[in-house]
Formats: sequence, structure tokens, C-alpha cells
Amino acid sequence: MYRFPKGLYADIRIEHTLSANYRVQNEEVKENSETSVAGAMIRVYDGKMWYTSVTNDLDNIQSELDSLASIAEPDEDIENDPMVKKFEIHKDKVLRFDGDNDLRNVTRGQREELVQSYISACFENTPPEIKQWYAGCYQFHTVKEFYSSKGSEIVQDFQQCFINMWCDIVVNDVKTTAGKTVGGMDFNILYGHEQEVLDRLDRYLDYAKNAVDVTPGEYVCVLAPGVTGMFTHESFGHKSEADFMLNDKTLQEEWVMGKKVGSDLVSICDSGDMLHRGYIAYDDEGTAPKETWLIKKGVLTGRLHDANSAATLGEELTGNARAQDFGFPPMVRMTNTYMEPGDISSEEIIAGVEDGIYVYNVNYGTGQGTFTMQPNCCYRIRNGKLAEPLRVNVVTGSVFQTLFDIDAVGNDLEFCDISTCGKNGQSMPVSDAGPTIRVRKLTIN
Amino acid sequence: MERELITNAFSISEVQIEETKIKAFNKDSRTNYSYRVYDGENAGVQFVQGEIDEEAGFKQAEDNLILERPYKFSLESGTRHRNKTEREYTDKELMDISAQALEYLKTKFPDFIFSGSIYTHKGIRAMKNTCGLDCSDTDCTFEISLGFKHKDSKDIDDGWFSIGQRTFDFKKFTDMAENYLTNFTNKVELPDELIIQTQYYGYLSMLHECLDAENLALKTSLLSGRVGEKIFSDSFTLMHDVSDKEAWFTPFFDGEGVMLPDDKRVYIENGVLLSGYADKYTAEKYGIEHTGSANFNMTDVANNGNVNLQIARADKTVKELLDGRLTVVPIVAAGGGFNDKGDYVTPVQTAMLCDGERFIGRLPEFAIKGNMFDMFGKNFIGVGSDNPIFNDKQILVKMDYSK
Repeated sequence: MYRFPKGLYADIRIEHTLSANYRVQNEEVKENSETSVAGAMIRVYDGKMWYTSVTNDLDNIQSELDSLASIAEPDEDIENDPMVKKFEIHKDKVLRFDGDNDLRNVTRGQREELVQSYISACFENTPPEIKQWYAGCYQFHTVKEFYSSKGSEIVQDFQQCFINMWCDIVVNDVKTTAGKTVGGMDFNILYGHEQEVLDRLDRYLDYAKNAVDVTPGEYVCVLAPGVTGMFTHESFGHKSEADFMLNDKTLQEEWVMGKKVGSDLVSICDSGDMLHRGYIAYDDEGTAPKETWLIKKGVLTGRLHDANSAATLGEELTGNARAQDFGFPPMVRMTNTYMEPGDISSEEIIAGVEDGIYVYNVNYGTGQGTFTMQPNCCYRIRNGKLAEPLRVNVVTGSVFQTLFDIDAVGNDLEFCDISTCGKNGQSMPVSDAGPTIRVRKLTIN
Repeated sequence: MERELITNAFSISEVQIEETKIKAFNKDSRTNYSYRVYDGENAGVQFVQGEIDEEAGFKQAEDNLILERPYKFSLESGTRHRNKTEREYTDKELMDISAQALEYLKTKFPDFIFSGSIYTHKGIRAMKNTCGLDCSDTDCTFEISLGFKHKDSKDIDDGWFSIGQRTFDFKKFTDMAENYLTNFTNKVELPDELIIQTQYYGYLSMLHECLDAENLALKTSLLSGRVGEKIFSDSFTLMHDVSDKEAWFTPFFDGEGVMLPDDKRVYIENGVLLSGYADKYTAEKYGIEHTGSANFNMTDVANNGNVNLQIARADKTVKELLDGRLTVVPIVAAGGGFNDKGDYVTPVQTAMLCDGERFIGRLPEFAIKGNMFDMFGKNFIGVGSDNPIFNDKQILVKMDYSK
């Protein structure tokens, strides 16, 4: 094992990742690759700052550690540093994906067969409006080791696979991209979604033919479950990440625990324990994930931490220190974040809208004080029923107001296991989830 | 059997800033290799990150010939090496400059909180093969990228600024910081005429998609069927330009080793659409000329898409183009973009009123809208000959307010 330097905290993250990609475009195979990458991040903390190094040379980790230690300033009392005291100690091996479900055992032939079966079912005899199509299967499997000078020794794994079925529809010289990505942690979960893809293509073909431009303004909006998931992530999730408020008195007062921040219908939770795309056995500082209720019945009850933010704000660890891969240091990130479902149906929610907009699906969102979502399919709601498809460019709202404007929460909770969150240059797999909700006012452009 | 090796090496030293304090010193140095063999019909490709015996790399590539990845084109030849490095900074110099920059910001702007990074970046892209190709492109920069937030702001951040240079000039950094922050709390009203002044890369995303030769051929581009037509303003010329000294980390060869005459290829000249871009495969498929536009696909055969689009500069400076008019500079404009019809709409969360060179005050939140054909057509004012705000090229374009 490693010789950790005295007077310093240090940790080492080693990762081995195998990935595979099979991609077809208009009947031509565009990619058929398998790659393997191994590397490590070595970190040393001297009580004042971190020193980190990234390497692919796994035989040389000890010398990298020694080199970093040589430029740090040892502190005899490092064990009593508030952040160092926070770090948990675990000796554990959690390999949930090394049995029959191990994606490393999936062959090129299996991927090709899967994709070709989807192509046969979905992209043969396509309508003339479909000008080109893309089909593919991507997968990865990662084994992560974590060793710390406090004594942690953790081995964990994670994997995911995806089937992508997308196409370009052209109507009146305007292209509409349509399709579906299905993701999961077991290859078998990728089978049997052909009808969902076909239904999605039919919906977007109708959208491409009939969508009308929205008149910009403020509208009552009903968000589909997948959209609520992104709304939850962008509108509030990012404000729950504690690293933006460490020494910021204004934000600490704005986001004080116990403050009413939304309607009684709103409860939001983050948990890395759940076996979704944001799953972790331990975070990248070796902390076990916790179930963290960020909002309970509209009241602020928690926030997400790494060891530094927990120590600075005098709160408990939550297991949210995550890094994109061994090339990046961990920072506070969401895992699986969801809005708790209510008890009415989506039909009842839509029926309660005389004139509004149903946001069916979105491309992406952003999460500052003014959050945004870019829809790719919306519908007008008239007299409680879905009406014509609408072309909407962007939906915006203020987090300080919108959570109060939620007046209906559905019973149809859905997890989206294909989301990726960007923050400070790092992309992170997360899961967003929510039910159908109704918001009294959002700005539509 | 021909052999080819693509190498992509980078080395980054970074001082990470969190709430105006140094949080970490990070080092990352890695090399990616793509071992490639060609038998005349197919290519075998093997990606490796980290060091591996070269023969072992090519052996793995040969084993992958079984995948029958089609590639029947002649490999390129020729020798050229370009090194745009002006100066390499030691880690100690990086730390010293970072400390100096932080001290300046804390003293000069105590009402702001800063987070981000100060870093040096060295990159080498190289390509060689058994047909006589041997080329490399090296670049090295010193960059500061900082988010800022006023201490009284209830948002998680208010904006950001960044400056990249090959030889670091501290005064250019302080000039930029003073421009962004001195009048940040001075609230001003939106002007009646909306002229946007900004770095233009985000506005070119739609053109990148539209100019893909395959999209043009399959009619999935808004520009399909319009090659040879006047589509934009007389003063709008768009080109792939890797000769430009301001275009960083952009090698002069593409993923198939193609080197273009003068390192340029014009796609739209004085508003007239000349052609789309195509790698060799796309060009052959659609019977057009290839444009040296292959991506560096390290894990498989090359694919189409490697273009470094630049709008040709006007002869006039930004101030001269404006002729006394004021501009609006979006600092944070996140969440919108182009739709499929070419309409552009985005909320602007943070923006400054500007005289073309200096910020006058902070504007309220608003949304802007435009259309690709108008933005590069009747509403296109130009790209100035100078770089007054961003230390980079900037477009001037008329837009409309939205809700």
C-alpha cells in the first residue's frame, strides 16, 4: 500500500474504465470501437490548500505522491483541521456490476445485433419526411479505488449502457430532430423499446407538420415528468450546492435553514444511494451517500456538501463530492435529485388549465437565479385539454418565485437516467426526476 | 500495409480559485495516441491513453482490421512543424502571478467574490505515417478565467471574464477586470436600438451545422439548395482559418492529415455561399471536393466536422463601425439558442451597456431575438479590426428585444 506523508492529508483515486461505442448513420457504420483508459488523481492537503496531480502511470503513484508532498507545507496538527476531521473512514468493496450484469461481458456482436434490430423495427420504410437517421449503442464500466491517509480503502464500480435512436425530420424546409435515448445499468434493459421510439417519431412528425410559433408572454405551464426533473435540477438543485456560499453572508442569509422557499406541495430530495444514473457507493472523498431532503413541504431543510463546505458551514457531510473522472478534483454535485410526487393524475392537472402551455420535452436547462429550459416540443392547453403543438424557444423563471407558484403536483414520478450536468468544466452523470406539475406563471419566448 | 500515428498531448498547470482564495494547485499531463493501419480497403484503429510500446499499439490496430472499418483513400504526405509558443511559464511563475492577481482583485474590488482558475496550457497535436507525412502543431497559453459575484447579490454568480494570452500581460488583465467591475453596480436603462457586441462563436453553431456537406445534400440544412446564392450581407465572409494567430490549439492539418493552401478555406464570401465542408468520405459520397475537414477521431476512422470558422474582420475598428452608437454586451446569456427555423432567442441574465470599448453600466435582465439570415444579413454590422473588450474578435449585430 501507499506510504502517506506525515503532517499532510492525502488521498488517491484510481480508475479503470472500459467503454464501447457502435454507431450507425443512414445504414453506414460510423463507429465501432472499444477503449480502455486507466489513470489516477493524487491529492495532498496541508491545511491551507490542495496539491493535485493526474497520471496514467499507475506504477508511479507513490513518486507522484512524494513529489506533491515535497511542495506542500506539513502541519503537525493536520488531523485537527476542520475539513480533515470531517473525512469519513471506510474499508469496503462494493462491486454491484461484476456478475451476470457486467457490461464488460457484452460483445461487439451483441451491440451490433441490438442496434440492427432497432433499425429494422424503427427506420425501415420511414416516411419521406425523415431525411436521415442515427442509431447507436454506447456503454461504459468503471472500477474506482480510493485510498486516504486517514485509512480509507474503498473499491466500487459503476456502469451504464444506452441505445440511441434519432432522426432528422424535414417539413417545409425546416428540420426537426426526433428520437429517444434509453439508458440503464443492465444490457437487457435496452431491449423492447421499439414501440416507444416509433411513438416518439410519430409525435414529432406531427409536431414538425403542425407546430405554430408561440406568442411570447407569461403563461400557466404544465411540465411533463421529465421536464419537472430538469426543472428541479436547474431551478433549485444548483442553489442547494453549498460550495457557492461558503463565506458569502448574503447567500447564507438568503438560504437559511427553515426558510419558506416554495409552496407546501414542494418537497425535493437528493440521494446517491438510489440505483439510478447518479448512483454512488461512496463519493470521491470516500463519504457514504446520504438521503438529503433539500426542501420539505416548501421549507428549506438541507443542502449538498463536500467536506470543505460541510466544515465551513458547520453542517454534516452528505456524500456529494463528485469528480467527472480521475482527471478532475471533486466538487459539490447532485446525484439523484427528485421532486416528491403528489396524489393527483396528470390528466387532472391539465384539466385545471383554461389557457396555458404543456411542456412535453426539453433539450437542456441552466440554473442561475433565473433558470432556463429549452423545449423541443410543447402543446397549447385550451379548456383543460391539449391542443395544437407549439414551437417554443425558451422557458424562464425566477427560482425565488417559481417554487411558490407550483399549485399542483402529480402522482406520476419518473426518473430520467440519461442526464448529464455541467458545472465548472466538469460533466457529471446525474438522474433527475419528478412528476407532472403545474406552475401558475412562467415566461415563454 | 500503411501505418499512421496521431498524437494528442496536453499539459495543464492550474491554480484553482474559490471565493477569492487559492484552493488548489493542480497538474495534469497526459498523452493520447491513435494507432492506425490501412490495408487499402479498411482501417484498423486503436486508441491508447498513456504510454504503450509502439509496436504493441500497431499490433492492436492490426487486430482491429477484422472490424472492416472502410477507408480506401490515399494517405497524405509532407513535412511541416509549427510551434506558436511564445513563452512557457514555470509553476512558480504561475503561482506568483496568481497571488499577484488575487491581491490586486482583493484590494481593488473588495465588494466582489471571485472563483475560477488561472492556468497554463500546452498542447501538441502530431501526425505521421509511412507515406511520408510528418507534421505537428504546438501551442502554449496563459489564461485567467474568473467568475465574479457582488457581495450583495442573491444569485450564485453574476458574471465572468477571461483573458488568454501567449505572453501574459498583467496590465491587459487589470484593464479587463476594471472594465467589467468598475461600473458593474451602476444601473442603466436598456437602449432603444439593440446592438449586440460579443464574441461570436456561439452564433456560429447553427452555421456549423448548416454547412455540413451531408446536411446540405440531404436537405436537412437551412442552406440546402442555396450554394452559389447570396444568402448574407456583402460584408459577411466566413472561412475556416487555422493560420490566424488568435485561433489557439487549432492545428494546420485535419484528421486525415490534409493541409490547406494558406491554411484557409472560404465557405461564404461577401455573403455568397460557396460550398459546404467535407472530409474525404463525405466528398466522395456526394461527388464534391473535400475541404480538409476531417475530425481527429482517435477511436475510429475520420469523420466530417473539423472546421475552425472565423468571420473576416472589417477594415474599421469597433468604434468606427459603431459611429457613436452604444452597444449591449451580454455577460451571461444562458438557456436559449437557435431553433430549427434559424430563429435565435435567449434570455440575457447579465449584460452591460457599452460605448464599444468601455462598459458604462449594468442593464436589467431581458431577452433577445433574431434570425440567422438577418443576423448575418441586413442586421450584420461587422467584426471590428481591433479587440477592445475581450482580447478577441467580436461581432456587432442588431437584434430585437423579446419578452
